[in-house]
Amino acid sequence: METEIIVTDSLTKFYGKIRGIEDISVKIPSGGVGFLGPNAAGKTTLIRTLLGIIRPTRGSAQVLGYDIRHEINEVRDRIGYVPEFNTSFIPDTTAMSFVAFCGRMNGLSYPESKQRASDSLFYVGLGEERYRKFDTFSLGMKQKVKLAVALVHDPEIIICDEPTNGLDPSGRVQMLELIRNLQIDEGKNVILSSHLLRDVEKTTDYALVISEGEILAKGNIRELTANKRSTVSVKVKSKYNDLLEALEVNGLNVWTDGAFIEVEKTPAVEKEIFIIANRIGVDIRYLGSRSRSLEDVFVSLFKEQEVQIH
Amino acid sequence: MSESIKSSEAYVKKFAFRPFDGVRRGRIYRLGAISWQWWIHEWKRSKAVKFLIGFLIFTFILMNMFLLFTRDMMLAMDPDLTTNDLLEDNLFTMVRGIVSFGISFEVESDNGMSEAQFNFGGTSIFILILLVIVGSGLIADDISNQTTEIYYSKLEKYEYVLGKFLAFFIFGNIVLTLPYVFEFFLLVVGLGNIDLITAFPALVHVILFTEIITITYSAIILAFSSLTNRRLYAGLTSFMLIFTVNMIVSSLTLSGGEAGFEILFDVLTVLLLTSYILTGATTVEYRSFRGIQSINLIDGVGIEGWMVLGALGLFILLGFLIVVVQVWRHSK
Ligand SMILES: Nc1ncnc2c1ncn2[C@@H]1O[C@H](COP(=O)(O)OP(=O)(O)OP(=O)(O)O)[C@@H](O)[C@H]1O
Ligand SMILES: [Mg+2]
Repeated sequence: METEIIVTDSLTKFYGKIRGIEDISVKIPSGGVGFLGPNAAGKTTLIRTLLGIIRPTRGSAQVLGYDIRHEINEVRDRIGYVPEFNTSFIPDTTAMSFVAFCGRMNGLSYPESKQRASDSLFYVGLGEERYRKFDTFSLGMKQKVKLAVALVHDPEIIICDEPTNGLDPSGRVQMLELIRNLQIDEGKNVILSSHLLRDVEKTTDYALVISEGEILAKGNIRELTANKRSTVSVKVKSKYNDLLEALEVNGLNVWTDGAFIEVEKTPAVEKEIFIIANRIGVDIRYLGSRSRSLEDVFVSLFKEQEVQIH
Repeated sequence: MSESIKSSEAYVKKFAFRPFDGVRRGRIYRLGAISWQWWIHEWKRSKAVKFLIGFLIFTFILMNMFLLFTRDMMLAMDPDLTTNDLLEDNLFTMVRGIVSFGISFEVESDNGMSEAQFNFGGTSIFILILLVIVGSGLIADDISNQTTEIYYSKLEKYEYVLGKFLAFFIFGNIVLTLPYVFEFFLLVVGLGNIDLITAFPALVHVILFTEIITITYSAIILAFSSLTNRRLYAGLTSFMLIFTVNMIVSSLTLSGGEAGFEILFDVLTVLLLTSYILTGATTVEYRSFRGIQSINLIDGVGIEGWMVLGALGLFILLGFLIVVVQVWRHSK
């Protein structure tokens, strides 16, 4: 992480008594970042606060060095936002006319807005349909128009809030690919908010795991999912407890998971397990390494949190 | 697009994400963009709008022809009558016609006879319908199509509200102020013998009064537009408030004496009275379906001039307030 695009300092938003987000202090690096969290985690609230659509109850934030309280218009001109709502657009306007209009709201001149609207619509793959009216657009197309709207004014950061909502599998792949390309080919900073772990995993390198208005974990997705907690699963025919004991005695970190024995991964742990099993005469039926997907991290983080709460 | 660009892919490669290095336009430009977008959209959307604007132009031409044909006759009938008087009377009657349906007011002339006036109620209802049709979707459409979130991610909420009001305001200027200003100059040419300096206050009155109408209508129509996400309901309710209240109030009136306070609830009547206040009239006659009453605006009895202006201000304020509250509420 070379530079930070967004820095927040105990950013908090309460809707009356309902907590949206609380005390979020993060430094979001440039490149691709995923906001990951279950429903009602506060992802949308965080995004809307950063865009100045809602005012934070307390705390502050800088986007690209601009303060969201005092220089919000500078911030808005540098962010492209794909809202999560199922925007249906005004039915009898054309995509071209609406996207160009959105560019003008970000200060593009009339001819510039037309040109860039056309570029953006081509980019998202709606070049041929750009003069069609919205009432003839499918949900997936509208979703792409939202992305075009976010791109039209050449922002440095593009925030996509659940951009794959309501898309079929191929539409979903297309959308994620577009977002990834924006980051890789165009060098844009992309923030992808989603409750779908696979989407985030596929698209961005860095993730912020949010739940109940707080940050649970943050970091490089590789590191989050990586080895420090990766395990080796072992399945045996019999003498399950014997092996468990023997492994523990030999100083390995072990725990049980149903029929499996999970052993914390260390270098050459597999070999060690074989040797120990051999020594006490246990037949190993299965031995496999399991890299934790973000999903596992996610689930385990929530479990920990639940334990803390109850 | 040029022929050389074969596929959309090539196009992307060539043009996509040219970095924008121009200067971003200011806030006023952006407000203008909102208005312009809406204007274009309304014009393309509705055949009714085109028809109504056409119809308004037609009635205008008709009224002018009528006036010019009868000019010589009227001048011959009354030796004291000048073309300046004719200009003023006709122009005032016409602009007041924008807000009078069932009611007309007459200023008492010096000899105690009320002056002959035409009733252009027909035009006024078409103007109202036109403004309601185009105005009621201003905010309601954004709510129902959930485009507000896109606006708010690019502009301040107050800029959004101002942009919408500006849109209506420009439209009002085009369908109300502009035609009547044009009418002024038509009459100056058509009637002949006009002393422009004497006639000038009439022009000021026309501009001021039509602007007040536009502002009042915009406050009411946008308020209803922000209260619902259906432009149809917004349109019907604002029409009802403006038109039906006018009808009800004017049929409540009993003959004789001072007019009752109920007329202060009637936007159109309040607007009409404002026009008289602007011209400095103190006594006006209130003609409703059921009779004639006189209102002295400065005698300390019944309805006074300041009450009329206060009621008008309240209508406008209330409308603006509803819009602002609703916009803030929706964005939460
Ligand atoms: N306008 C609002 N008024 C009151 N409470 C709200 C409002 N918007 C969000 N909340 C509350 O704030 C919390 C966070 O909501 P938010 O929409 O930010 O979650 P999210 O992570 O985006 O969820 P999702 O994945 O469902 O989009 C929730 O408990 C929600 O009920
Ligand atoms: Mg959300």
